[in-house]
Amino acid sequence: MVDQWTLPEIDLALCTRCGQCVAQCPTQAVEMQATGPVIVRPADCTYCTTCEAVCPVGAITCAFEIAWDKSAF
Amino acid sequence: MSDRPPAHVDHDSQLFASRSESTLSAGALTCMANIVVPRAYPAETVIVVEGEPCEAAYFIVEGNVEVYRMSFQGRQQVLVRLGPGQAFNTVPLFQVNGCNHASAIAHTDVTLYALRKEDFPRALRDCPDLALVILQDFANRLAHLTDLVEDLALRSVRGRLAQFLLQQANGSAVTQKWTQDEMAAHLGTVRDMIGRSLRALTNERMIKLDRGRIVLLDRAALEAEAQN
Ligand code: SF4
Ligand code: SF4
Repeated sequence: MVDQWTLPEIDLALCTRCGQCVAQCPTQAVEMQATGPVIVRPADCTYCTTCEAVCPVGAITCAFEIAWDKSAF
Repeated sequence: MSDRPPAHVDHDSQLFASRSESTLSAGALTCMANIVVPRAYPAETVIVVEGEPCEAAYFIVEGNVEVYRMSFQGRQQVLVRLGPGQAFNTVPLFQVNGCNHASAIAHTDVTLYALRKEDFPRALRDCPDLALVILQDFANRLAHLTDLVEDLALRSVRGRLAQFLLQQANGSAVTQKWTQDEMAAHLGTVRDMIGRSLRALTNERMIKLDRGRIVLLDRAALEAEAQN
């Protein structure tokens, strides 16, 4: 089961603090903090995967589970 | 098919008037009229056969023509449907020993002007505007084919993606999570194509994208898509 706040995972060990994810997030859910980028407004993140696509070093992962619609059974 | 004497120049003006980007000057139209051969074909007549030596290029005066190719599986892939003012089979005119690249069939009753291969050098020399019209036609055709190639590539990715999603959702109890890059690598394509295919399947309500979850909604439609 996926919880309500499934969010992109950011690997700060890989992150170069380039700020692309912050600049391109369409809902401004990500902010750059002293430690690196953080999804500070999780409710605003739509899991659109833009940050994953733009990160030049592959530090962001938006993974999907693939499942049938349970309401269909 | 009937060969008739060249029609009056007024008909030629009509021929190119329907395409604002492909207009010939009055002088060029006059010399074209002396070179082209009017031909009429009833609907469903095959005008040009793919792979045969090119005899002529054609300009449509009236009616519609479908240009198509046969796939290795014997499926007919319509490349484009053309109407008055448009030309087809122009490419092999430029090639030594050029063969017809595609077949063409009269979709309706059609009247065409045939520009025979042996007359082409003279036509280009005598009517320089003709080269421009043909180049514009090439440019339009290239743009159309580029879109078509992209569409076919996307459709094949959609089919493979639908199959992959069905396999995953029907699969073992161990749930594996996939990024779009991983799906792309698995299906031999690129992330962008996966993103676009997912959006297309979403728009057609076969799946829905939840936060972190691809939810399959319509088994029959996905199975049909996977057959493509
Ligand atoms: S998934 Fe989209 S909305 Fe969420 S943080 Fe990344 S870019 Fe922003
Ligand atoms: S785009 Fe990637 S490297 Fe750049 S700040 Fe965001 S996580 Fe770090």
